[in-house]
Amino acid sequence: MNWNKKFLRYLNFNVPLAVILLIIIGFVSISSAVEINQVDSGALRFLQKQAVSVVLGLLVVFILQAFDYKIFKEYAAIIYILMLLMLTATIFLGQGVSGGAHWISIGAFNLQTSELSKIMLILVLAAVIDNNSDDMGYLKGMFLPSVTAFIPFVLVILQNDLGTALVLFFIYLVMLFAGGGNLKYMAAVFGGGFLFIVLLITAHVMLDTPLPFLKEYQLNRLIVFINPNIDPHGSGYNIIQSIIALGSGRTFGKGLFAGTQNQLNFLPEKHTDFIFSVIGEEFGFLGSAVVILLFLYLLWQFLNIAENARDRYGYLVVIGVMAMFLFHVLENVGMTMGIMPITGIPLPFISYGGTFMLTSLTAVAIVINVNLRKNKLMF
Amino acid sequence: MDRHKILRVVILVIIIILMSRAAYLQLARGDYYYQLSEGNRISVRPINAPRGRIYDRRGEIIVSNRLTYNLYLMQNEIPPDRSTKEILTKLSGLSSLAESRLISNYNNAEADTAVDPILLARHLSKEDMVIIAENKDILPGLLVKESSMRDYIYPTELVHATGYTGEISEQELISYNEAGYNYRGGDFVGKGGLEKEYEFYLNGERGAEQIEVNSRGQKIKTIGIKKPKPGSDLVLNIDFSLQSSVEKLLQENYQKLRELAAEDEERSMPTGIAAVVMDIDTGGILSSVSLPDYNLNLFAKGISSSDYQELVNDPLRPLINRTTMTAVPPGSIFKLVTGTAAMEELGVRANTTFYDSNGTFYIPNWSRPFRNWNPVGEGKLDFVKAIARSNNIVFYELGYELYKEYNGEKLAEYARKYGLGSKTGIDLPSEKSGLVPDDQWKRNQLNVGWYPGDSVNLSIGQGSLLTTPVQIASLISAVAAEGLAYKPQLVNKIINADGEIVKEFNPEINIDLRNQIDSNVFAALKQGMYDVVNKSYGTASRHFSDFPLTVAGKTGTAQTGASNHAWFGGFVPYDNPQIAVVVFIENGDSSAYSVPIAREIMKYYFGLKNHHNNNKKIYYYNREDDIE
Repeated sequence: MNWNKKFLRYLNFNVPLAVILLIIIGFVSISSAVEINQVDSGALRFLQKQAVSVVLGLLVVFILQAFDYKIFKEYAAIIYILMLLMLTATIFLGQGVSGGAHWISIGAFNLQTSELSKIMLILVLAAVIDNNSDDMGYLKGMFLPSVTAFIPFVLVILQNDLGTALVLFFIYLVMLFAGGGNLKYMAAVFGGGFLFIVLLITAHVMLDTPLPFLKEYQLNRLIVFINPNIDPHGSGYNIIQSIIALGSGRTFGKGLFAGTQNQLNFLPEKHTDFIFSVIGEEFGFLGSAVVILLFLYLLWQFLNIAENARDRYGYLVVIGVMAMFLFHVLENVGMTMGIMPITGIPLPFISYGGTFMLTSLTAVAIVINVNLRKNKLMF
Repeated sequence: MDRHKILRVVILVIIIILMSRAAYLQLARGDYYYQLSEGNRISVRPINAPRGRIYDRRGEIIVSNRLTYNLYLMQNEIPPDRSTKEILTKLSGLSSLAESRLISNYNNAEADTAVDPILLARHLSKEDMVIIAENKDILPGLLVKESSMRDYIYPTELVHATGYTGEISEQELISYNEAGYNYRGGDFVGKGGLEKEYEFYLNGERGAEQIEVNSRGQKIKTIGIKKPKPGSDLVLNIDFSLQSSVEKLLQENYQKLRELAAEDEERSMPTGIAAVVMDIDTGGILSSVSLPDYNLNLFAKGISSSDYQELVNDPLRPLINRTTMTAVPPGSIFKLVTGTAAMEELGVRANTTFYDSNGTFYIPNWSRPFRNWNPVGEGKLDFVKAIARSNNIVFYELGYELYKEYNGEKLAEYARKYGLGSKTGIDLPSEKSGLVPDDQWKRNQLNVGWYPGDSVNLSIGQGSLLTTPVQIASLISAVAAEGLAYKPQLVNKIINADGEIVKEFNPEINIDLRNQIDSNVFAALKQGMYDVVNKSYGTASRHFSDFPLTVAGKTGTAQTGASNHAWFGGFVPYDNPQIAVVVFIENGDSSAYSVPIAREIMKYYFGLKNHHNNNKKIYYYNREDDIE
């Protein structure tokens, strides 16, 4: 146990405030998305499950403050092994929908291991980068962090979870950048990888060669992202309906429970992936702006906390968490607006989904932990 | 700049991109997407309006509607995971509807937007309706809607005047909608007769039900209903009991005359028959019959192309309305026109005498003889008797005199005064204007000038002169009313679904010669027509012996080379003319066959007993009294 009453003096209240506001907005929009206003909608069940996740998450937030975050660095190897075991197990034992094996059942809970892997990777990667900080400008120093990220990346891809894989990649990229990675090599890795993917897809479309990572439906999502009207009733449907929902909210929205795209089920996956479209439809630009600016506010605070972190490990962990949230926001909100391909990753604190809520709150807990222990003189 | 600051910039850039996109979609393009979301949510289902009905002058219903069910495809109600083709395949597997037919109807439909319903099938059977209703969940986007189809109470009567309906053609669709009407592909519109003439009155206004649908195309609730406006009803001038009797009379005579012609090779085979009864005081058409006709029920559900081809290719041309669309020489009925011109221009009077020495007339210095129908000279006759006898020699002479005085233009001018050569304006489509030949016409058509022989020929209604039965009815009417004739009119008034009169047709003067032609002229002509029927030497008197009404009329047998057209035009009663009756038998050989038919029509009109079902045969089928 490592707790000091004085820690609370350092608490950046903006973080819990923004998180609580986002969670409240989440509950309201999920209520509408699952049609709580209609009889027999079964909506309560969703809210209860979401509430349980929030309570569990908050417990984590409190309990975690009793430990110094340095233990994550100390146990990084164990965390990493645990993560790999978990992801491997999911590939073989996992269950899932639409071609993916995303979760393993633990009692009543379906644990989405790939969600947890995000936070685990952050903790491990921060340790690896921190340990190699002197060599980060060279290939030698970048090698171990890259391998560390690459293995779980491949395991997640094998689960068919492209969205999470992209999140992991983004976390890796941002942490490497913040950790002092050589920009030239990073550009080469990023550019080369991008080029490779483009080549693979082009070859697939033109020459019908097999795609190693992408499933056909994932490719379709990418193609319709470029032009949703290619297949307006199929893959493009989600994008079109989401944009209609958002746009039709106009300035002030159609009002809670009054979004026709939402209530009449034109919106797909509306309580999870497309929750932002519900907000946009029912609360208009006002609602969209509040949510986007709340995220800006939260991420800004993360950077402040990172800046004042006690050590480099703390700094890197907070940057990793920031990167995770930033990518989630960019990808999720961008997807509902038709400027990012559909990959099915949730909007933090707002989308329905227990594991990610738990992951998000754990991430926040770690950030607060770093925040509370910012003053080196305390020890 | 250190990397931490760069991260702040990255966050800001990403947030700005998201905010701008939200602003673009929601603020700049918000109204557009709002419209789209409304279009998503709201489906507009058609409610068909019944077509207006057709009544006779006494309110007897002639054409009505029957309930039928059509199948529509609502494209915007098809869920995203279902394809139209697959739904149609499933539908045809379950029901009796042929897949190829459904798909071709679907492909041929011209739906401008996804909201427009597409007509897949008409007149669904009860079995198919049940199947569609039971499989609603697996057959989304299909909509069964009430519609109406024509119900012909008398499918073989008043056929040509009523006309038929059929699916709107592409051209009609374009021109009607350009005219501001709201038609859709697959709509039924009038294709002939009154159905076509009054299309825009008969056709109602389609209503619509605005409903809210969810993403699976299921109806959630009705938002609003725009009630359909049924088409307006036509009330005709036709007296349907008269019409029915005339139909039956003509039908029997037509059959009988064709049978007799088949037995007697000297007789020409009649190829059609028509009769018009017109109210002299208003121009109202009381009865209009044209045979051969067809069964309107063939058209009720939309005629099959083989049935239609059969009608079109029938050599007797049953689709032709012979009262308005057949123009042939009128024969001696035209002598009324020649007589008018002669009295007005040549100073001929009722008692002016002429001499027919041997039944032959020669134009001075021409060798071709012009003969009377009677090969024996009829001696001395005055003008009135010349009409009663229909003596050609007298009218040849008058024709020739008119030629001499006025170079052949005068007769055509008088023909036009009586409305010949132009449409009467009867409220039917495709009316023929006929032809009044003159010098100009002959030069244009045949590249030769007008000869005296042309005038002589024209004076007895032969040659290139062409008239329709309804024009002749107008001519008879003008003479009977001493210079005044009204536009022939089938529809009396139009009444909308609320019972309000939308349009009332007041008698419209077509011909007014009262200031141009002396009343003595009409008196003489009428006297002649009276004598035709009532004097023993009159050409029609034989058929009117002991007839209780005072009738006046004029016979006509128009030679067309191989065979003759038979005409009779008359009016009754003589002292107070009420109706004009015209009977025309195409290739009917002789007016001997048209006169008794006219007589029977007059009997029906005045409700006289001794109808055609009397045992005593009243028809006149004997050729021996072959008269002009």
